Amino acid sequence: MTTGSRAYPGESKWKGLLYLFPAFLIYLLFTFIPIIETFRASFFDWNGFSESRTFIGFGNYIKLFSDPLFLKAISNNLVFILFYSILPILIGLLLSALLSGQPIPGFSFFRTLYFLPQVISMVVVGVVWRWMFNPVSGPINQFLSLVGLDQLRQAWLGSFQYALPAVGSIGTWVQYGFCMVLFLAGIQRIPIEYYEAASLDGANGLKQFVYITVPGLKSEIGVAMITTMIAALRVFDLIYSTTRGGPGDSTLVTGFLIYRSAILNNRIGYGAAIAMVLTIIILALSFLIRRMMREEQGKEA
Amino acid sequence: MKKFRLSIIFVLSFALILSACTTPAVETPPEETSEETTLVVWDQFYRDEESKVIETLNAEFETAHPGVKIERETKVLADLQMTVKLALGETDGPDVAQVNQGRSDMGALVEGGLLLPLDDYIATYSWGNVFSSSVASRNSFTPDGKTFGQGSLFGVSPTAEVVGVFYNKGIFQDNGWSVPTTFEDFETLLAEIKDAGITPISFGSLDGWNAIHEFSAIQHLLVSLDYINNLTYGVNNATFDTPENQQAAQILSDWAKAGYFSEGYAGIGYDDSNNLFKSGQGAMTITGSWFAPELMTGTDQEFGFFLLPGFSGKATMAIGGVGVPFAIRKTTEHADLAAEYLNWMISPRAAELWAQAGMVPAMSLPEDSKIETDNLFGETLLAWDTINKNNAVGHYIDWATPTFYDTLVSELQKLLGGITTPADFTAAVEVDYSNYLLEKSQ
Repeated sequence: MTTGSRAYPGESKWKGLLYLFPAFLIYLLFTFIPIIETFRASFFDWNGFSESRTFIGFGNYIKLFSDPLFLKAISNNLVFILFYSILPILIGLLLSALLSGQPIPGFSFFRTLYFLPQVISMVVVGVVWRWMFNPVSGPINQFLSLVGLDQLRQAWLGSFQYALPAVGSIGTWVQYGFCMVLFLAGIQRIPIEYYEAASLDGANGLKQFVYITVPGLKSEIGVAMITTMIAALRVFDLIYSTTRGGPGDSTLVTGFLIYRSAILNNRIGYGAAIAMVLTIIILALSFLIRRMMREEQGKEA
Repeated sequence: MKKFRLSIIFVLSFALILSACTTPAVETPPEETSEETTLVVWDQFYRDEESKVIETLNAEFETAHPGVKIERETKVLADLQMTVKLALGETDGPDVAQVNQGRSDMGALVEGGLLLPLDDYIATYSWGNVFSSSVASRNSFTPDGKTFGQGSLFGVSPTAEVVGVFYNKGIFQDNGWSVPTTFEDFETLLAEIKDAGITPISFGSLDGWNAIHEFSAIQHLLVSLDYINNLTYGVNNATFDTPENQQAAQILSDWAKAGYFSEGYAGIGYDDSNNLFKSGQGAMTITGSWFAPELMTGTDQEFGFFLLPGFSGKATMAIGGVGVPFAIRKTTEHADLAAEYLNWMISPRAAELWAQAGMVPAMSLPEDSKIETDNLFGETLLAWDTINKNNAVGHYIDWATPTFYDTLVSELQKLLGGITTPADFTAAVEVDYSNYLLEKSQ
């Protein structure tokens, strides 16, 4: 009677596909076609609105890899991985371990508080931190003066030395809450008996953290790594609302370079080529991380 | 029943998608009534004072032209720049739109064949008497969009701008300082102000673009008008790597090293440094006349304006120009009406309204005008008149190449930060400039 493919007798097998149709159409219109169009545009010399465009093959791609601005932007993106991905994961692990132990009064309040930066629009974050870093009226320099550390006052966002770490640390501030909430949820899944057994055997908090919590959170760490790393590579709004790539090109990132080339300088083709390279880098990195996670899980099994 | 529900879901979701796709088209008016003509105008006068000027002019235009309705859309300049390029290519795009000057905006649109040449209307409306040929060349391109400053006229500008020095009259009076008349005096004054423990020049380079004005204001005192014209329009083998430009860069970097700018200027944005100046923290600031209206309200300080004075024995030239011009879409069905509208925007009446709003009009004020000029606005107006009469209106040099703005901002930040020397600076900018000339000649 039952044939497997028909779970609910009497219903058309097209029905399921029909349900998928609206979402698929939206995906097609607003994601898939634009990607294909971007890919196509990357082979042309085109200003974005003229009727005529010139096919130049791989011309844009060849120019790209000898463009010092593009190479600088990519290397800045790699630095951003440290601030957007690695630091938030470490801080998130630490905080979730601290928050998950015993019941703490006001636990949910703190959890919400730490997660808050993730909820705020990135442009708002940028504006707020631009004010925080303001050399004259910003709280950071004012605090330094207050505690007598006047010599540490900086023109943070305008300094060749400090602008990149300053903008990067905003990223850390935004991302760590996300990592923390992810890890807190993951910790609930780790059987409490592990911890009980460990403490009976005399393992202290640090050892429990290293040998139980971290390995138990492996899949959550993988998810956090992929999402935060993608965020680090495609960062745009934060740079747009704080330094616009300056001073010089010390905070220039790939996302901002795409905007500058394609929108401001009317070089759609060149911008599209940068976008394609960035997409490929993001896909490759995501694939690599997932591969690593799967191998790790394979070993455990 | 189930089937019915399913088909409803299907139809609804499909309708939803369709409506999402067609929403933009719905915004255009459904159908024009028999004799009414609608003129669609996009402008970037979004600030309150500016917007009121346009609204008044539009209302008066409608009264003077029965049966004409103006449909106005206002955007911030950056948004306008982004959308107008696509909109002007559509048959239902704006009939009239403000199009920014320079190669990447007006030049690109002319190249794309999207703007109407206005040459025929110059005689119709005697525009030759309204603005000088130097002003006209700022809104002109050859029909292929390649050569800037020559060829056909593609836009008319209602407002004018001049970059000079705003100063705090109270601070000057308290310390017995007077407005310097030579550049040498100006530099002596900077040192004196610094010694008095006051910030000589309120300045912040975080946003970047105003650093171009800071550099170029000094540059304009060292070079000739011909040079600035050649550089901007990319003609007569102009180069950027010149002793004069190096000297200007040297002066700017010396000022930074001497501490003449606001503390931590590298981390301060344009608006923030303006606010510092407005609140009395800083004796002077170098920026454009567009800042005047803001300094005339909401402050108890009194401000004045003067042109950055020339080196002794040399004439003063200042960065200046006319504001974002109005242009006409090439495919419009109402070309003559649109031209009439452009003429309306640069009428004596418009000049008066702009002056009332504290903005320097590009046109002369009517003889019998009752605009009060015994104030900061009057001083900016006088400065514009001075350079206009003396044929000393320079240029925003970032128009020179499509990427000049980015290059200048980045290289000036490096120069100010002490990363590069003045010689490195002019050499690095020259790379951008010569690359563009080469690309253009191919």
